[in-house]
Amino acid sequence: MSLRLDSMNETDRPQRIVLAKIGLDGHDRGIKVVARGLRDHGFHVIYAGLWQAPEAVVQAVADEDADWLGISILSGAHMTLLPDLLNLLRQQGSGNVKVMVGGIIPEADIQKLQQLGVTGVFGPGTPMEDIVEFLRERR
Amino acid sequence: MSDWTELFERFRQKDRQALARLLSHATQSEGAEIIRTQITPRPTGSVIALTGNGGVGKSSLVGRIAERLRKDGIQVAVLACDPESPYTGGALLGDRIRMSPLASDPGLFIRSVATSGGRQAVAENLDLMCQLLLEYGFEIVLIETVGAGQADVAVRELADILVLLVQPETGDELQWEKAGLLEVADVVVVNKADLPGADTVMAQLQGQLNLPGCRPVPIFKVSATQGEGLDELWRAVQELRTEN
Repeated sequence: MSLRLDSMNETDRPQRIVLAKIGLDGHDRGIKVVARGLRDHGFHVIYAGLWQAPEAVVQAVADEDADWLGISILSGAHMTLLPDLLNLLRQQGSGNVKVMVGGIIPEADIQKLQQLGVTGVFGPGTPMEDIVEFLRERR
Repeated sequence: MSDWTELFERFRQKDRQALARLLSHATQSEGAEIIRTQITPRPTGSVIALTGNGGVGKSSLVGRIAERLRKDGIQVAVLACDPESPYTGGALLGDRIRMSPLASDPGLFIRSVATSGGRQAVAENLDLMCQLLLEYGFEIVLIETVGAGQADVAVRELADILVLLVQPETGDELQWEKAGLLEVADVVVVNKADLPGADTVMAQLQGQLNLPGCRPVPIFKVSATQGEGLDELWRAVQELRTEN
């Protein structure tokens, strides 16, 4: 089979990002703003929405062949839910998918989350351009 | 992933992530060309497409049908098309959310597909994506088109069975005389049958579609949200699958 490997070069493909909220947290204004903002900057946003189980999110990430997973949490349960989610991602073989987190995350927890494997944490008031630049730099 | 050979090998060993990656490559013209040389042109299984206007209830109905198929133990894949921005190339793919109760079932594969403009409501190389899913082992592929207009008939070529959704308060009786999408549908569904006006649309369709000498088209009243009319619809689709 003489197949050219350069055709697997993906740099011109729009980045795919799954956006979801996990756990019992009904605040979806922020994640919708981010979804719209990323759409307007050329990303393909798979919007999974509210009240997702970590298992469902992990399957979505795999089946959608996502480059990124964005999780929004405003309930304060981030230190409970995110370690589970990151473990599930690794178990399923999606450990290479980069994870960003948005919502109400206290300063003290940001470093802990990064140590667990979260690539970026964005709090309220983050300009859309900052997130876009962050994602593009780490393509 | 070192190269294509390894990727196809993993795909043939039913590695789900290899399937997901091949589906990504299939959206790119170079990747699609290579995949076409490697897979069975017409694997067994059925492709059922649902089309209709934006907001008519395609995602919700696909979700209900998928739910039913899973209860029967059938392995099912969904290709959900949503439009890509003509300005930025970005897309908000929001069909998955209506199918979420099923989202962690391994017998179900849902893939959101961004679709550029001028593609008649289906993504480029969607046929190839169907082939990949069937060859992988899914028995039924459900295609959900982008919200489609009267003339978006390209999906006819992709599907074994084409289901057209309409909703109450859709035009007058002359609406159903028009050429296009209505002509190519195998089954017509009046969705949102829980809303007023469903019976009027039903009556108009029955009067206009099944005139003497015409190809008979079954018409069903369905409410995807209430779960009504699904049994009758699915029986008709099954009969068409057997005929095909």
